[in-house]
Amino acid sequence: MNTAELLYQSIQSLASTTELAWLEDKLIADSKGLSLAFVMAPRQVAKTRVGIIPGWNWQNGTLDQLVRVYLLIHLAEKEDGKSRIETLFDTAEMNELVALYRALPVLPTPEIWLHRATDAVRSNMGPVFDAIAFGNPYPTTYFSELAWNQLVLKCIFNDKPIHLIEGLDERANQALANTLADFAHERWAAGRRVPSQVWRLIRNFQTETKEQDIKRLAESADPNDQKAAELILENSPLEAWRVLEKEETAY
Amino acid sequence: MCQNPNEHKLNPSHFEGSTEEKQTAQEVEGGFAAYTQGMKFFDPHVHMTSRTTDDYQALADAGVVAIIEPAFWLGQPRTGLASFKDYFASLVGWERFRSSQFGIKHYCTIGLNSREANNEALAEEVMEILPLFLQKEGVVGVGEIGFDDQTAAEEKYYRAQLELAKEMGLPVQVHTPHRDKKKGTERSMAIALEHGLAPHMVVIDHNNEETVKSVLDQGFYAAFTIYPFTKMGNERMVEIVKQYGSERIMVNSAADWGISDPLAIPKTAALMKIKGISDADIQKVTYQNALDSFAQSGQINEKDFIDGLEIDQSLKFNGNTVLRGGQAPRIDKNSIFIR
Repeated sequence: MNTAELLYQSIQSLASTTELAWLEDKLIADSKGLSLAFVMAPRQVAKTRVGIIPGWNWQNGTLDQLVRVYLLIHLAEKEDGKSRIETLFDTAEMNELVALYRALPVLPTPEIWLHRATDAVRSNMGPVFDAIAFGNPYPTTYFSELAWNQLVLKCIFNDKPIHLIEGLDERANQALANTLADFAHERWAAGRRVPSQVWRLIRNFQTETKEQDIKRLAESADPNDQKAAELILENSPLEAWRVLEKEETAY
Repeated sequence: MCQNPNEHKLNPSHFEGSTEEKQTAQEVEGGFAAYTQGMKFFDPHVHMTSRTTDDYQALADAGVVAIIEPAFWLGQPRTGLASFKDYFASLVGWERFRSSQFGIKHYCTIGLNSREANNEALAEEVMEILPLFLQKEGVVGVGEIGFDDQTAAEEKYYRAQLELAKEMGLPVQVHTPHRDKKKGTERSMAIALEHGLAPHMVVIDHNNEETVKSVLDQGFYAAFTIYPFTKMGNERMVEIVKQYGSERIMVNSAADWGISDPLAIPKTAALMKIKGISDADIQKVTYQNALDSFAQSGQINEKDFIDGLEIDQSLKFNGNTVLRGGQAPRIDKNSIFIR
């Protein structure tokens, strides 16, 4: 079963007869009709909570969002689908942007949306950044190393939990480790800190200050930092870092 | 869209207030919060795009739980469609997010303002994209539209947008002109009726003593903009509520890029309280009537904000709140330490 079929199955099980009839009617519309249906969806479809869908990692989603993604898949298949979707991006409100970014990995040719996806990383709207960053396979599959590193760094900069990023450990790299070490020093100078789990991205790389940094963590009053130092020194498997997967204050 | 560059006054406005009013207003300003404890407010007209986070903080602290931001004139003309598009998108996106960080529910109305209706070539293009925005979530009406100079072009686009509102079942927020106000207001209402809009779907804004009776008599909602120094003084507002009661009357701040006060509603509520207006009447003109009129859009659900902004569960991922945008929104303004 492909993603579209999976989505439709969930929509069918959750939607009322009226909601389903509205959707069926819109699915046979032309690309303009599909675009408008995307915009109108929350006026026609309730925000019914969607449970976990196998093969689709958008937890805590709502029915109207699911319908939006489904409409986008259909719209993308139209001849002028790309330009229609570009317009939807340009005129989108916050929830529309979230649906658009969530839909990227399941659209027919995900790679053509790379410019939009990297824009989302620049967004200052929390939910928009989160839509591309968390639980979304798009960045790990399509982002260049530079774009990937920006995503991880911005996530830490905004005090958001990095462990929700898909492919986090697989895409760890030397350039990111160097940047993160610098960033941690900046934070320390300002009397702030980085969440302890950030050090998991540095553990397999040699940075200029690695030894001093581990020493500093080990001597920290913060038990999470002590734990991070211990995990690095003992060369613990990734699994052991799970205990640090939590939000931590930066002050 | 409340100031007129053609009038070279220090504080141009819809209304002139007396020195006495100014004095009372200043007294209330010192400690208005003491009179508004436990009150909640709904500002149906405030241009937050022009305001800072300090204003959002002050609104939240003063009990403002929900606001409507009408699309308006940004102070200098736009030269292309793209700047309209980006502005409308910011009203439903960025500004909505900014507001949510302070626990305030943000709605907006979308429209082509009267001043820029006079650039017909551009106005045509804007009309093309309006329906796309009017259908969006949290868009509670067409606004603010109406007359400025009362030109033929203004009338043309006012009528066209009334048709859009009717077609989509949305309320209309009507800006009434600064100059030749009484005639402009009558004309705005007559045209709305001519297009078959129900008066209860139309909020006539920026009223004064001269316009209020006719607006209420014809069944429209009557909104009053309270501005410091020069617009509707809030003492005059108290007199209007005393005379006309609280049915279909609402106050707003219309705070924008000009000298204006986002706290106009709580301050006016305090003055009403001091002047003996009942709590029930204060609640109607500072909250309920705004809610009732714009809820006719089907886009306002009071329980989303009445007990504090409910964080949409879809904004959580694996149980983590993901609403933060990079900084803790609340800071202690009285602390001399900035960290």
